[in-house]
Amino acid sequence: MIRCVALRKTYGSVVAVNDLDLEIETGEVFGFLGPNGAGKTTTIRMMVGILAPTSGTVVLGGYDIREAPEAAKAQTGYVPDQPALYDKLTGVEFLRFMGGLYGVEREELEVRGADLLEEFGLLERAHELIETYSHGMKQRLTVAAALIHRPKILILDEPMVGMDPQGGLALRRLLTGLAASGVTIFLSTHSLGVAEELCDRIAILDAGRLVAIGSLHELRERAAERPELEPFDSSLEAVFLSLTGTSGGQV
Amino acid sequence: MRRASPPHADAAPRPPGLRVLLAPRVLAARNALRRGRAKAAVLMLVTALFWVGSFVFFERTVSYFQTITALGPVLTQRLLVMLFVSFFAVLVISNVVTALTTFYLAADVRLLLAAPIPPRRIHQARFVETLVASSWMVLLFGLPAFLAYGVVYRAGVLFYVGTIATLLPFLVIPAAIGVLVTTALVLAFPARRARDVLVVATVALAAVGYLALRLLRPERLASPSEFAGFAAFLAAFEAPASPYLPSTWAAEVLTALLGARPGAPLFYLALLVTTAAVLYLASAAVVERLMLSAWSRAQEGRTHARRAPLLGRLLPRLTAPLPRVPRLLLIKDVMVFFRDASQWSQLLLLGALVVVYVYNFSVLPIDDGTPLAATLRDVVAFCNLGLAAFVTASVAVRFVYPSISLEGRVWWVLRSTPVPLGTLWWSKFLVAFLPLAILGETLIVVTNRFLGVDPGLTAVFMATLLFVIAAIVSLGLAFGAAYPRFDTANAAQIATGFGGVIYMVSCLGLIAGVIALEAWPVARLFWRRIDAAPLAPIETALVAAAFVVALLVAAGVAALAQRSALRSLATLQP
Repeated sequence: MIRCVALRKTYGSVVAVNDLDLEIETGEVFGFLGPNGAGKTTTIRMMVGILAPTSGTVVLGGYDIREAPEAAKAQTGYVPDQPALYDKLTGVEFLRFMGGLYGVEREELEVRGADLLEEFGLLERAHELIETYSHGMKQRLTVAAALIHRPKILILDEPMVGMDPQGGLALRRLLTGLAASGVTIFLSTHSLGVAEELCDRIAILDAGRLVAIGSLHELRERAAERPELEPFDSSLEAVFLSLTGTSGGQV
Repeated sequence: MRRASPPHADAAPRPPGLRVLLAPRVLAARNALRRGRAKAAVLMLVTALFWVGSFVFFERTVSYFQTITALGPVLTQRLLVMLFVSFFAVLVISNVVTALTTFYLAADVRLLLAAPIPPRRIHQARFVETLVASSWMVLLFGLPAFLAYGVVYRAGVLFYVGTIATLLPFLVIPAAIGVLVTTALVLAFPARRARDVLVVATVALAAVGYLALRLLRPERLASPSEFAGFAAFLAAFEAPASPYLPSTWAAEVLTALLGARPGAPLFYLALLVTTAAVLYLASAAVVERLMLSAWSRAQEGRTHARRAPLLGRLLPRLTAPLPRVPRLLLIKDVMVFFRDASQWSQLLLLGALVVVYVYNFSVLPIDDGTPLAATLRDVVAFCNLGLAAFVTASVAVRFVYPSISLEGRVWWVLRSTPVPLGTLWWSKFLVAFLPLAILGETLIVVTNRFLGVDPGLTAVFMATLLFVIAAIVSLGLAFGAAYPRFDTANAAQIATGFGGVIYMVSCLGLIAGVIALEAWPVARLFWRRIDAAPLAPIETALVAAAFVVALLVAAGVAALAQRSALRSLATLQP
């Protein structure tokens, strides 16, 4: 459902993403991990078509994002790392606007919008300007907007940041449910607990390079081959620190 | 081993000095100067030139007033009063607007409130910041004027010392008023609403002032007989010299020190100093007691957008014939525009501009019955085409050019959805083109009617202007996408940036080009009327060809600018 082939992005002499190859199956929840500045957000921006790659391709649902951007984007929902929205629109107006851009019919838009607003706890404040929302509320509204057109692929960049525990739990449940219904989920997160709980497979990116990919079990096995890792410590955090070459002592 | 003694949590630390609290602003200014030395040098040169020009202007004016024996001294004094009155009015408005930011909206207020700093110290730091930010411009404009007075009157050192001693309390008074008014406003409204109220009030005042100034018909002063009347009026103008205004006290101090007439400078200086001291202490007391409550109010926003505003009901109906995506984008842009007071309030200024523009044509003294009048009228009508295009470009630089930058961090919404860039461009184009075309065409039609221009020629001008406006809008989007500014949501600030300046220059080049191309055919049509002879077929073809070339040039610029905009938009990264 998602395929990145030799995806590369350079800024002058800096290589932000270095020949990344990924293949993600339909209905899979795919975790995308990496330390700060690893190139996760750059990768995601190239995947959703808001940043042109230096080279390589991204194929979403069979459509190349550069050759058929509208078709690729039509089946994708995107949640950016920062919930930047139109402050002077209300929550419900923003959902209508987004649904309209994806071509959702008006009647369905009203029903679907109300459902999503309720699901994300925003119904009571749906007619308030977005500028009055908290960070967490904006984040929830962004997720709701990404789902308004029932996408086949959902790409989320750090969606849990700024969400309260209830919001985080609701989102985790939602993602599990979506995956069960066949939606492919690409999730970039710093929360290793979330990745451990939700993801079928995990990729770890470091300095623009893919350093590991596989199920949690496979990653543990790979990490166990590293002599510096304590044999009893098989948490994803230990695996992550081992594979990205950082230890808890470093800041 | 000696253990370090634990910190005493209950011991109140010594509050930071004013220098520490002002350090971020001072250091930021220093860093900006260091990084942009060339820019600072250019700025200093421009300032120096302005000072010299301003000094020469005031020196000549005051010298001239002195030559008018009967009215001279009174006029000089009145001019000084009017200077102080204008400065005082500008300072009060400027301080209110600045204080709202420095005391209640700035991001670092949170840090100050959380730190162990007494409220009085916060007041001192923010007061100084407000005063400096609001007053430097007035000092820039005022100092050459005061210097000119000193030079013309051959004043001694006492006048210059007295000027500094007068200006200090004169600047403190509006700053204190600004802090008091702002605090009252924030307590009465949530800060965002208070800001809206201030923005709209300021723009409305500017628009009214502009209108009033124009409707006074200053061109009458060019006539000596009219000027004598005006001078007498100015001399008799008592209103600004109210004895309760600090501007009067300041003028009284300086008039006496100049030796223009006897007075009591020390008394008026004492009035200024004591009033400044009382108001400063009052603002300190108010801020000390109410800042936390007012700041807490400032965190609230206008929560409810009216559920069914008129615009929200009308727009979907009005835009129904448009395709889905342009329609959605248009509705979104219009809603955002009319909910942002800093945006829609500019329409008040625009309204004043249009009224003055049309009024200017209604009072043009060109229809005096002479044979030259008809030709003069035609020339003015042709210049009017350029002027209307210029007005449209001025409006475009404020509204069209910033439209890409204003999408800012929300650009991801438009780019991640399945909407082609071409459609986005067309939507932005239509949103800007339609109102600008209505504005430009209305100006041409109404003013040509005043001038009594031939309807056929008016139609040609209207067609030309339509193409020129399309090019102006397209250029606005191209330059807006090529020089985006995502660091500010202030459209006026975006418009005055480097890209805005070269956009305006490009528009002027385009207008000049089109006007130049149409000059010959228009002149030919005028002569035909004077000669009362029909054009030869070849001439008719040439005239038509020249018009078509002018239109094609404008259309070509619009198309090239569109390509450039699409290229820039494809790589735009907020």
